[in-house]
Amino acid sequence: MSDKRYTTVSIPVELAEKIEKRIEGTGFHSISSYVTYVLRQVISSIEEDEKKEVFSKEDEEKVKERLRGLGYLE
Amino acid sequence: MNRLKVFVIGLDCAPPDLVFDEFDLPNIQQLMDCYGELTSTIPAITCPAWMSMVSGKNPGKLGFYGFRNRKGFSYTDMWIANSLAVKEDTLWDIFSREGKDVSIIGVPQTYPPKPVNGIMVTSFLTPDINHQYTYPDALKTEIKDLVGEYILDVEEFRTEDKHKLLSQIYEMTEKRCTVVKHYLKKKWDFFMWVEMGPDRLHHGLWKFFDPTHRKYTESDLQSAIPEYYQYLDNQIGEMLSLVDEDTCVMVVSDHGAKKMEGCINVNDWLIQEGYLHLKEEPTQIVPIKKVQIDWTKTSVWAWGGYYSRIFFNVKGREDAGVLTREEYHDVREEVKKKLESMKDDRGAPLNTKAFRPEDIYTGKYVREAPDLIVYFGDLYWRATESVGHDSIYSFETEIGPDDCVHAQKGIFILKDPEERVSGKKENLNIMDCAPTILDLMGSTKPPGMDGHSLLE
Repeated sequence: MSDKRYTTVSIPVELAEKIEKRIEGTGFHSISSYVTYVLRQVISSIEEDEKKEVFSKEDEEKVKERLRGLGYLE
Repeated sequence: MNRLKVFVIGLDCAPPDLVFDEFDLPNIQQLMDCYGELTSTIPAITCPAWMSMVSGKNPGKLGFYGFRNRKGFSYTDMWIANSLAVKEDTLWDIFSREGKDVSIIGVPQTYPPKPVNGIMVTSFLTPDINHQYTYPDALKTEIKDLVGEYILDVEEFRTEDKHKLLSQIYEMTEKRCTVVKHYLKKKWDFFMWVEMGPDRLHHGLWKFFDPTHRKYTESDLQSAIPEYYQYLDNQIGEMLSLVDEDTCVMVVSDHGAKKMEGCINVNDWLIQEGYLHLKEEPTQIVPIKKVQIDWTKTSVWAWGGYYSRIFFNVKGREDAGVLTREEYHDVREEVKKKLESMKDDRGAPLNTKAFRPEDIYTGKYVREAPDLIVYFGDLYWRATESVGHDSIYSFETEIGPDDCVHAQKGIFILKDPEERVSGKKENLNIMDCAPTILDLMGSTKPPGMDGHSLLE
């Protein structure tokens, strides 16, 4: 993967402290890595909802065609 | 305590007898510190089996019973279960939340890819290679640099040109193994790879391999299945040389494989028994979706595939329901009994099993399950849903040759460097894999899993 670039965002100190406690003893080594992970999840679930419509008729037809070939659909 | 790592190797459709005993697979077999037959989901099909394995939950909690599922109680509409249908946590969701690094390659039902704390390469239900089949996006370029055009699945699976099919399977597996070996060298805590090659190989070539197959054909392809497994074993050997000594290695399959005896034309049978009525009698073989069903007279109809799903036309549930709730119960018992007493084309008992969803599933989606799930001849027979056949038995699928069906039991193999589990295990269920893996990695089992950890 290409070198990642980073930027800084501000969050309330109180929230940062909460996160700090939450990630104690987990694999997250910093507040930033936790926040990045959570935000990716949130964005992805929004995108997922959008994708439901984006999973076009044509895409679905391709998948159905494959399933037909594999014997799961007639 | 060291953070233990787990590497899961999934071989779609790999049957216990061949992997444990019959084939000479030194790399896989040296992992058999703990092993046993792994009972799959009902139905024993790629979808929902793999998702049951990685979520530890039964299809009644997952909400899908096959690749295609009925939309509500519609007569015609269906939806295809892709990753968006998976609402329950999978192992990689749990590990990602814990900040553990995951690498997921080829697991069915992962398209469209979801973000993980690591990487994901989706599987054969991706529309095509031009779609985003990786997370993160940049991985696609890396894979292209590594293997050129990646292969999600073999094309023309139903071809009569078996040598071509075989070379496609090898090409696909070789590329995926290259990708797996590349990412095994990177940072990960949980690595899972599923290879579809064995499934494609069994369906395409079983009749050359199994002398008891009805269509057994002597050919130079007889050794194709064992040779492919030996090839896979060599690949796995190379992979094992890339993982640390403190890695638990698991080899699993979603179901087994056995010879196909034939097809039961289930809707023709329902017509013959007076449950299904068409507006016009078909003069040739026609897909059920192309015929006009008289819903005012029809009480039962079915979907086909490696297993059959039977639906009842119930008042207040289906648009033109004919059966009252009480009748539904009685007619369903009657159909179940008739199905289970069916004979094969030679007059021998077929040993069909018809499952009521409430007996085999739990969870909030049980009411959406098919009314009966049927294994014709205990899965030795497929179900055909088209109508207009001369008989209720067929020996050709309409889409081309297929030699193999699924078996309820797949494989489970585990080598734990800390030797927390060992020996041959009985009664292993596919849903036991997720809680076992969580335990092996020192993670807590979330509530709601149906399986049990082998470490308990």
